[in-house]
Amino acid sequence: MNTALLPRAVPDRGLVPVKGLIRNLDFLLISTTAALVGLGLVMVYSTTHLSPHPLVYVRSQVLHLLVGSLVALGLLLIDYRALASSARGMYVINLLLLAAVLVIGRSSLGAQRWISLGPLGQFQPSEFAKLIIVITLAKHLSGSPGPYRSIRDLLPFLGHIALPIFLIFRQPDLGTAMVYGAIFVGMLYAGGARRRDLAALGVAGLVISPVLWHVLKEYQRRRLLVFVDPALDPLGSGYGIIQSKIAVGSGMLWGKGLFNGTQNILRFVPEHHTDFIFSAIGEELGFVGGMILLVVFFLWISRGLRIATVARDRFGALAAVGIVSMVAFHLFVNVGMTVGIMPITGIPLPFISFGGSALMTMLWATALLLNIGMRHQQLSFDTSPGPPVRVIRRVGGPERLEE
Amino acid sequence: MDRGLFERRLTVLLAVIAAAFVVLAIRLWQVQIVQGEYFLRLSEENRLRVTSVAAPRGLIEDRRGRPVVLNRPAFTVSVLPMEMRHPEQVIPEVVRTLGLDPAEAAARIAAGRDRPFQPVRLRRDVPKEIVAAIEENRMDLPGVMVEVEPVREYPLGPLGVHLLGYLGEISDRDLDALRAQGYEAGDLIGKDGVERIYDRQLRGRNGQIQAEVDAQGRPLRVLATTPAEPGNTVRLGLDLDLQRVAEEALGTRVGALVAMDPRDGSIVALVSHPAFDPNLFATSITAANWTQLVQDPAQPLLDRAIQGGYPMGSVFKVVTATAALELGIVGADSRFYCPGYYNLGGRIFHDHEAHGNLNFLEGIAQSCNVVFWTVARPVGPERLGEFARMYGLGQKTGIDLVQESTGIIPDPAWKIRTIREPWYAGDTLNTAVGQGFTLATPLQVARMLAAVANGGTVVTPHVVTEVRSPKGRVLLRIAPPAGGQVRIRPQTLSVLRAGLAAVVTHGTAASIQIPGLAVAGKTGTAENPHGKPHAWFAGYAPIDSPQLVVVALVENVGFGAEFAAPIVQRVFEAAFGLPLQPLPPTSPASAPAGPDRGGPGAGAQAPPGSPHP
Repeated sequence: MNTALLPRAVPDRGLVPVKGLIRNLDFLLISTTAALVGLGLVMVYSTTHLSPHPLVYVRSQVLHLLVGSLVALGLLLIDYRALASSARGMYVINLLLLAAVLVIGRSSLGAQRWISLGPLGQFQPSEFAKLIIVITLAKHLSGSPGPYRSIRDLLPFLGHIALPIFLIFRQPDLGTAMVYGAIFVGMLYAGGARRRDLAALGVAGLVISPVLWHVLKEYQRRRLLVFVDPALDPLGSGYGIIQSKIAVGSGMLWGKGLFNGTQNILRFVPEHHTDFIFSAIGEELGFVGGMILLVVFFLWISRGLRIATVARDRFGALAAVGIVSMVAFHLFVNVGMTVGIMPITGIPLPFISFGGSALMTMLWATALLLNIGMRHQQLSFDTSPGPPVRVIRRVGGPERLEE
Repeated sequence: MDRGLFERRLTVLLAVIAAAFVVLAIRLWQVQIVQGEYFLRLSEENRLRVTSVAAPRGLIEDRRGRPVVLNRPAFTVSVLPMEMRHPEQVIPEVVRTLGLDPAEAAARIAAGRDRPFQPVRLRRDVPKEIVAAIEENRMDLPGVMVEVEPVREYPLGPLGVHLLGYLGEISDRDLDALRAQGYEAGDLIGKDGVERIYDRQLRGRNGQIQAEVDAQGRPLRVLATTPAEPGNTVRLGLDLDLQRVAEEALGTRVGALVAMDPRDGSIVALVSHPAFDPNLFATSITAANWTQLVQDPAQPLLDRAIQGGYPMGSVFKVVTATAALELGIVGADSRFYCPGYYNLGGRIFHDHEAHGNLNFLEGIAQSCNVVFWTVARPVGPERLGEFARMYGLGQKTGIDLVQESTGIIPDPAWKIRTIREPWYAGDTLNTAVGQGFTLATPLQVARMLAAVANGGTVVTPHVVTEVRSPKGRVLLRIAPPAGGQVRIRPQTLSVLRAGLAAVVTHGTAASIQIPGLAVAGKTGTAENPHGKPHAWFAGYAPIDSPQLVVVALVENVGFGAEFAAPIVQRVFEAAFGLPLQPLPPTSPASAPAGPDRGGPGAGAQAPPGSPHP
């Protein structure tokens, strides 16, 4: 099916010397990742060290970090194109896991998100599903590279994410479903879909949103309503927003200092070590700390996009875009939520929020980026299996005008 | 793919992301630099107060829409731990003013330490004078709050209390399980009856007020409010008038009464005496009152109608007769001779009188034990048990009330399993007339008789018929599917019905004839180890199209026809709008022995052979 890719890919495998691969590793990406993960451990400790078991959370996070890093190292050794060829299986397994959550999942706070692994704890398939969707959608997009002349050409991709989104919605996990949406838009845009088609899909989404409204659980509707009008303020939701704003705002320019966040304030803020961890960062490290965090994230993202531009094939390029879209969306929604410009949707802060499944997913996403980056062709020429250049020029209306 | 296009689009993507970052940065600048001082002040002085606005609990109304349970506004005094400046002075002061037990109050406040921003309720329904005293000293009592909260009111007092239930503060264990559903510490939750089973319908949703307060805790500015949403209205099948008549008819006697519509299983009246006043619980009960209720030997908390297991006495003959007729062992005209005793291999079982020559129908009407002993042997204990279970005996009815008793329907396998003794022929005789090991609740008996009345459907009794939103929209109609079907031939049913009708026309309950209403029923006088026999009467009316089944049980008084039947008669009279007959004078029951709650030992002590009118 992918005749264009395979003949070129196979001879390369294993022929690039390891030394070259290591030289190709993006050390800036690695160091920003390490900085974020390090800050995450410190902040998880800061927000939980006053609990009855001060080290439980940090220990769990470190454990997940170690396991996640080992697996990430393993991922680096495999050529990422091997992932592309197993995309179909991954897609099916992903659906099965998401469906399993609905059947045997553990409930918490009104939603079923976890599958228990007995003594090993529990994991959240919807986190890993984010990465799997990036990989399978990249494969799908590189398998049918367009040109996408009309919205009908986008429908297969829409179908691709519709099923997982539906399953996530049933949990219900509105935030994660939105992440899939962001991944989808980012990858299709980069993949060459026409702007007006994407816009039409967006409009269609708005049109069917009244239907989705009925699918939402009561507490999710409340959260959305509270975001629109905090004065409605039902139990907890609006409360969380205000408390979080107080925490962030009271940090002022320099912050109250690490571990000096007012304990009371932290107790006011719900989920302060998971989804609302940024409110602790804002309080303890201030505006300066927040800005540094944003800069580090922006560096990470720009390295990710650079890898997308140098990737040797369409699959790698689009996978990189998907990962970047995912992280950027997470960051914006999560930080936005703590300062009251985004609704509370339960999306963690990448690399930093407490939560094993989310941390490992982000580590593996980074590993995939590094993998794509270190296997790029030194000599940059078009290796993608796409159609000849001219065809696309004729399709992309607005782009041609810019030429 | 066009590399140029791809790279241009990545540039756009980067620009979009950068713009989003700039938005975040601007917002952080706004919150942390521009408004930073304001938020810092809020955070340092804990000047944000969130108070919960208690939702009025849903109303409970009777079959005709008359209120049975209401709410009234009352004052609640709470403390807010984070605002207490000098707890060592303030707490004893408040506790003294409220007249609370210092240890209990301290324990409550300690339990709230984890959530210092949540008020800890010290006392609900505080009298006006005490509230005035607290308000006067407001300046000296920082962290003490007075709020208006609805309090549950049971205007009818003990009337129907076992069915309605009562409230109590949520226990720690329940709280762990229910926190996700919005329950909070200190919430009142239904602890029994309808209040408990339908708690989620009744509780509504608490509202909330977030306000900025000054150093004295006075609100300066309301930041946000959510109105409380009142709970849903629950409509019962209960008829208040009939319930009142039934309560009066049972009077001071210890016992129970169930009135049920045999067509759909809705409970029209449910009485258990002695009762208690649920208003004691409306604001969470005091320890002293609770101890008194629990230690009362008459067990007022026990709902005898559904939780009390009693020997059925001759009421069980409905089952024995069904089995004998259905298995073809007897017909309506089968002849018997009753010499006043029955000889079981040399062991003599005495009947209460010598009925002489009589047919099976008359055997039912006169409740002749010899007739039933005679047919019991060919039926055998296993099939007797099967028919009993077909009528729903020995199993929960599935009523929407808590801690229903299962009862006991014994057979040889059961006896070996529980008592480790073989089944004797004498056990069969005892079982056939409702003595021995058999135990049933009045509700189970009502369901059994309803099956006879409605043609064989073992209905599922239910107390609630409908749940409506506060605005009157019907949210839930409750009509549980039947629990089973009694599969018997029409001839069996008609003989059975004729026999039960004869009980009232000229049989053991001939004393309760009601002019203008044809009643059928069965008396029972259940020997028990606690004293005088329990009196039973189970009846339905009208005979042609039964609309009501009424079962009365009176503990340790004597004959069913004498003590239970008049009570049932009175309920029928009231239900069908007939003039009420005067009740026989009742004397308070002697030391109430309490029902047998299903312990096999209790039933086993009953003497074999039971006299019975």
